[in-house]
Order: sequence, then C-alpha cells, then structure tokens
Amino acid sequence: MTEACRHLRSRLLLARPLDAAAAAHATACEHCRTERATLATLAAALRAAAPAPPAALAARVRAAAAPILAARARRIAWRPLARALGAALLPLPLIVAGSAAALRGLYLALATVLPETLSLYLALNAAVAAALLCALTYGAIPLLAARQARLHHEVLHG
Amino acid sequence: MATDEDLMRAVVRGNERAFEELCRRYERPLYGFLARHVGEEHAADLHQDTWLRVARHAERFDPTRRFSTWLFQIAINLCRDWHRRPPPEPVAPADADRPGAATTAASEAGIDARRLLAALPEAQRTVVILRLYHDLSETEVAEILGCAAGTVKSRLHYALERLVALARDDGALP
Repeated sequence: MTEACRHLRSRLLLARPLDAAAAAHATACEHCRTERATLATLAAALRAAAPAPPAALAARVRAAAAPILAARARRIAWRPLARALGAALLPLPLIVAGSAAALRGLYLALATVLPETLSLYLALNAAVAAALLCALTYGAIPLLAARQARLHHEVLHG
Repeated sequence: MATDEDLMRAVVRGNERAFEELCRRYERPLYGFLARHVGEEHAADLHQDTWLRVARHAERFDPTRRFSTWLFQIAINLCRDWHRRPPPEPVAPADADRPGAATTAASEAGIDARRLLAALPEAQRTVVILRLYHDLSETEVAEILGCAAGTVKSRLHYALERLVALARDDGALP
C-alpha cells in the first residue's frame, strides 16, 4: 500500500470529498478501486451512529451547576467589599497614630491655658468624636460594597 | 452573537445564562463524543461531570484559546479517568434492555460501529472520534490532545487500518 492509497483510504473513511490527487489515484490504482465500495460501506456504518442526548440532560446539568455558579457569582460580587476594606484598612494605623499624636498635642496645648482635668475632658471628647467619625466611615464601607454588589448582580442576572 | 470565549468570561462571573447558552451549543457534539468514547449508558454522567468542571474551573480557561478545545480536553481527561476505573458490575438484563442502551450500534451492512470503535486503543479512538464525527482538522485535534499533528496523522492511519481489519474479521466486509 502506497502513501496515495493511505491518503485515499483516510478521505473515504472520513467521508471527505476526494481532492484531485485522491480522485486520480482512485481510478488508477486497482487495489483502491476494488476496495472503494468496501470503505464506503464502513464509512457509512461509522457515520450512521449518531447518539442523541437524553431530553432531560440539559436540565440536569443546569440544576447541578446552578449552586456552583451562584457561589461563583457571590464570590465575585463580594470582591469589591474585600478590595474596599483592604484599601480602607491599609492607612488605618497611620490614621490612628496621627490622631493620637494630634490629641496629645491638643491636650498639651490646652493644659498650658486650662486646668489639667478640663484639658483632659476636652481632649477625651475630641478623641471620642474622632473615633465615632472613623467608625461611621468604616461602617459605611460594607453597606456601600453590598449596594455595589447588588447592582452588579442585577446587571449580570437581570 | 456572543462568542464561546465571551460567554466563558461571563461564566467566570457566575452568569447562568451564559453557561446555559454554552451547554446548548455543545450539548450534541459533547454528548456524541462521550457516547462514542464510553458508551451511551455512561455518557450522560460524564457529560454532566464535564460541565461541572467547566463551572468549577472557569477561571482556568484562557480566553485567547478556543473554548471547544478546552471543553474536549476536559472530556478526554474524564474519559481517561473513566477507562482507568475497575470494570462495572454485570448489568442486569432489565437494564440492558432499556431504550437507547445500544443505539450507537450501527446496523449498516451488519457493522457494529460502537464495537469497532470500542476495540480501538483509547488514543486512536479519540483521534477517530474527533476527526470523523466532529470534523476537526489534524491541527485542532493535536491542540486538544497536546501532541504533534504528525502523531494525530499516524494514530488516525493506524486506527483506520484497524477498523477495516476488525470489520473484515467480523465478516461484515469482503
């Protein structure tokens, strides 16, 4: 069997149209000429078997994949929160240290003109106000991120 | 119309509609591939496993490559795992008679296409199925299998030789 015979056999079994070389060989080669009908029968038998998927398969696959996709969507949706919290927490030590230094400076400045107890009271008030402001700012981050996630989910899933 | 790769980007974000569309597009080709590889009685389970892997590992998909290549690579890996498993318990006669259990057995000229394919070594069978039933080029099959196009060509050649020989041994061909 020559390379041309093998080429013709492949084309016949794969049910591909014969190119010029294969067609010429099919008429010239006696071995291939006699084998052509046999190969066509085998090719038809191989092609005839076309299994169709069961009707319920698509629904079964969708049902099985739904929890995975939902978890994926949740994970993706909460990424902005993680990023927002990460970005907000990064400068927090600096904010705390800066605030502590400012409050200490405030206390020392007040103590030069006011009684120590009153200075301490005012400094503590300022500290509580600063802490409250910080808590409100950080408390808003999850709320804003959740809103963003909800909007993202609506855009994605309608 | 969104490409498969666009749909996969949406699946990464958990978009169910994109996933359904991909399932719809590839339901027949994938099921046909699996049914010919492991038989119809196991194809539905492997079909589901393939899509579950797609959903689970969606972020591993490289959108610069073709989705179909990735999908068939997953299916081939699952088929390999399936072939490595110990043989199942003998099937009860009632199960063997259920409809669709032997629909791939071609009756054309008395040739049992399913049995012929099953008799091929796994690597050759994969090449034949992808080339014959999915009209993929040698280059595309090589990409799916992660081998050279020359390897695909030689595997196909040996597989076709063997198919002809097996059909002759059966007496189905002169």
